[in-house]
Amino acid sequence: MNHTSSFLLVAAVIAAGVSGCATSGVRQPAGVPPTVMRPDESGFVAGTGIESQDLVTVTDKMARSVLGIPEIARAQARPYIVLEPVTNNTRFPINKDIFLTRIRTQLNSKATGQVSFLDREMMKTLERERALKQSGQVTASADPNVVEFRGADYFLTGKLDGLTTRTSAGTSDYVLYSFRLTNARTSEIVWEDSAEIKKQGLEDAAYR
Amino acid sequence: MTSAGHATHRRSAFSPVRALAILGLAGTGLLGGGCVTELPEHRTGGGTVADRQAAPAVERDRVLFDYRIAATALRRGDDTVAKEKLDDAIARIGGIIANSADAARARSLFASENSKVFIGEPYERAMAYFYRGILYWRDGEPDNARACFRSGQVIDSDPTNELDDADYVLLDYLDGFATAKLGGDGSDSFARAQRHAGERLALPPYQPKANVLVFAEYGYGPRKYATGQYGELLRFYTDDSPSRAARLVLDGGVPVPLPVYDDLGYQATTRGGRVMDHILGNKAVFKTGASVAGDVALAGSAIAHDSARRRDREGKDSDDQEFAAFGLGVLGMLGKLASAATDAQADTRQWDNLPQRLSFAALTLPPGAHVGRIEFLDRDGNVLEQRTQSVTFSVGPEGRDTVVFLSELKR
Repeated sequence: MNHTSSFLLVAAVIAAGVSGCATSGVRQPAGVPPTVMRPDESGFVAGTGIESQDLVTVTDKMARSVLGIPEIARAQARPYIVLEPVTNNTRFPINKDIFLTRIRTQLNSKATGQVSFLDREMMKTLERERALKQSGQVTASADPNVVEFRGADYFLTGKLDGLTTRTSAGTSDYVLYSFRLTNARTSEIVWEDSAEIKKQGLEDAAYR
Repeated sequence: MTSAGHATHRRSAFSPVRALAILGLAGTGLLGGGCVTELPEHRTGGGTVADRQAAPAVERDRVLFDYRIAATALRRGDDTVAKEKLDDAIARIGGIIANSADAARARSLFASENSKVFIGEPYERAMAYFYRGILYWRDGEPDNARACFRSGQVIDSDPTNELDDADYVLLDYLDGFATAKLGGDGSDSFARAQRHAGERLALPPYQPKANVLVFAEYGYGPRKYATGQYGELLRFYTDDSPSRAARLVLDGGVPVPLPVYDDLGYQATTRGGRVMDHILGNKAVFKTGASVAGDVALAGSAIAHDSARRRDREGKDSDDQEFAAFGLGVLGMLGKLASAATDAQADTRQWDNLPQRLSFAALTLPPGAHVGRIEFLDRDGNVLEQRTQSVTFSVGPEGRDTVVFLSELKR
């Protein structure tokens, strides 16, 4: 090979050499998509937000669990339950009613007649309607002066607690979903159960 | 040996095929060097065809528009629109963006950073959560408000640099305040907030019985600009607002101070570096390198061409030199083209109606209408009269906090 061709080759090598990858040296530039893991599984980081699949998993488990307790399964009379909004202690804003709503629909669909839920969200509307009946402004099929609003036998509520870890390896979120059924007369917690979900992920380098 | 025979002999030493092969190698090296980790098909997971295509410009900037519209709506008292836009933005910024074709394109040599879907820098994302938290509180959901403040702090934290840890005073302070309101112990959050505030500001102790929460913002927030040889360096600047403090005068009573708890200019400039800065730096190096290599090759081409002409004048064979001139010329052009096509420009899309300073006060007021004014003070504590705004709000019955949002910004 003569000088000219050597020069060409050198120029080619230089050109190739200077044209390095823009993302060289960046670890996992494409990121790692969020992965659902068992809570006891050690991950490279921890999880992310509360999503629909978590809602389904958690409420299915809770509905199955609460139906098995003697206070429900072997109750002499059908117990009346009032739902109280869950408390959100995580870093994720959520629709707080959605968990209890789904538990209620699951219980109503899987155990028809075994439990009844009292609609306290409607109380203002119901009281207004009763007042109209009492004043004679609207008709009534029964004596409106007799109190027929039922009292609760149990309160069902829950709490979401979270733990966040953020390192250079990514972001991780652990969420503990705990629910309990409290006897309205004795304040005794007759049932309590929990579910845990941990997620982790690493965003694309373009966003780090 | 005839001249034709000489030429044939020389061509066997430096054949056009070999020259083309070298050129091909060079071209491949030059262009292939810009490999930029474009994702192979199997790495893009379950992305649809649409996902792999460039997102429409509006879709790429959707979060940006959400941010701007939400801030304007909040200032105009249109909570419905503000919530809708912030929820839309948070749905995008709250997740983990991975295996995104747009993000891969933004990392590539030949696309600018702003080809990625915009979610904003940490101070912008934290503000989306801050505003949403205010609205949750106004709706009687302090736990969801606290969730937003916590997410804001998580976003502000730099996992690679402990010195640039999450340091918003208000986010921690309000986290603890919401906890105290819910009957919990907010002292840890209060201590963190006080640590962020340092000695310059003694934070007021929590008043769980306070029923009016006043959020105030003043001054114009940080601006982004690109600097460096190719605009590859993202920088921020803030036009320091004359409004250095504020106070609320209600019903002719004692003014309620609204000091600066957080300064977004400070937050924007102290967060630490981005991985994207490293990528853009590499793009800039490539752009320079490809240009220099192109210059070298073009100079070589000119020299080879001169040599060919000289040999022609001397009646000697000049085929090798002509080949070299041609090859180097092509190589030089490729280098210059690659350099020109490389886009190292930093993304300067920005939430341009953010405030500079954030403040807060918790009050206990009787139910009913309250009238007053918010005054903004200069460095020396003088009232900036032309900036004074009247304030009217109504405190509802017990059970839900009244959240008042006051802004010096008009849009």
